Amino acid sequence: MTQPPSAAVRLDHALDSVVAGRSPAVAAAAGAFDASLRQLVTLGGDLRGAMPVPVVAPRFEARLGARLALAAQPLDPLAWALRHPGRLIVTGAVGSAAVGVGITAFAVWRSARRAPPPAHRLLHR
Amino acid sequence: MTREGPLRASEPGDDPDLADVHAAQHDRAAFAALYRRYVERVYGYCFYLLGDHHDAEDATERTFLAALGAIDRFRDDGATFRAWLFRIAHNELANSLRQRRRRRTTPLEDGPEPMDDADPARLVGVAEDARRLRSAVSRLSDDRRQVVVLRFVDGLSAREIGVVLGRSEGAVRVLQHRALRDLAGVLGRHP
Repeated sequence: MTQPPSAAVRLDHALDSVVAGRSPAVAAAAGAFDASLRQLVTLGGDLRGAMPVPVVAPRFEARLGARLALAAQPLDPLAWALRHPGRLIVTGAVGSAAVGVGITAFAVWRSARRAPPPAHRLLHR
Repeated sequence: MTREGPLRASEPGDDPDLADVHAAQHDRAAFAALYRRYVERVYGYCFYLLGDHHDAEDATERTFLAALGAIDRFRDDGATFRAWLFRIAHNELANSLRQRRRRRTTPLEDGPEPMDDADPARLVGVAEDARRLRSAVSRLSDDRRQVVVLRFVDGLSAREIGVVLGRSEGAVRVLQHRALRDLAGVLGRHP
């Protein structure tokens, strides 16, 4: 035997109708509710009226829309560089420094390989 | 502002946003349609929970930027897109609340007034009732307040709210029932 739905479930079904725009009185009548549940359905309708979706400031909406449009664009290195000239300078400086360090390290390594063997080795020959 | 018509469907198999989500996964520019559809509702959720327009704007901005960045990871296998989006907003709100605990905020009862073009005396009464109701909502516990806002401001189903809050559908229904009973008690509306 199946149990009848709980008050919370019945109330939720009635509130589905209220949220969809139906009158609370009609929604409560459809559920054949007692006075207590009917009161809660009415309260749900009142909440819907008392808490409207607030207006979003048009400037904010436009600004966020523009940010999202920018973020949605595929990454284009040239466009990125033009938008962030400061970062381009930093990237260039760091890149140049890295190349310089790399060339120096290579030169040191090459000169170490070509250097004559230490004197004590010659003594053993 | 008057609320737009109720959003259609709320179950995973019938997600009305799916076509737009798939389009956005292939071309991110298509995310604009989802943004336009949900910016007000996400902002409303943030505003009613934070009670401050600037904080709500910040949280809304972070929500949509995070959603755009993660859109490729959305799969329609257990939640609707809007439940997924509000889940991101929920996480952003948790961060915001942690960061600004010491700051003063506008109380929820100072929220937007419902528009009506009836006579002024009636408008005053309606506005006063609405203010009392919002004040009562602001005194609910965090989880019950979240359920009330997601249900009655954003129009999410119990199942979707469960996805947002990480709870079962049954637990959300119980929270909703208790929240409404609490509000009825505070407002002296018991029959």
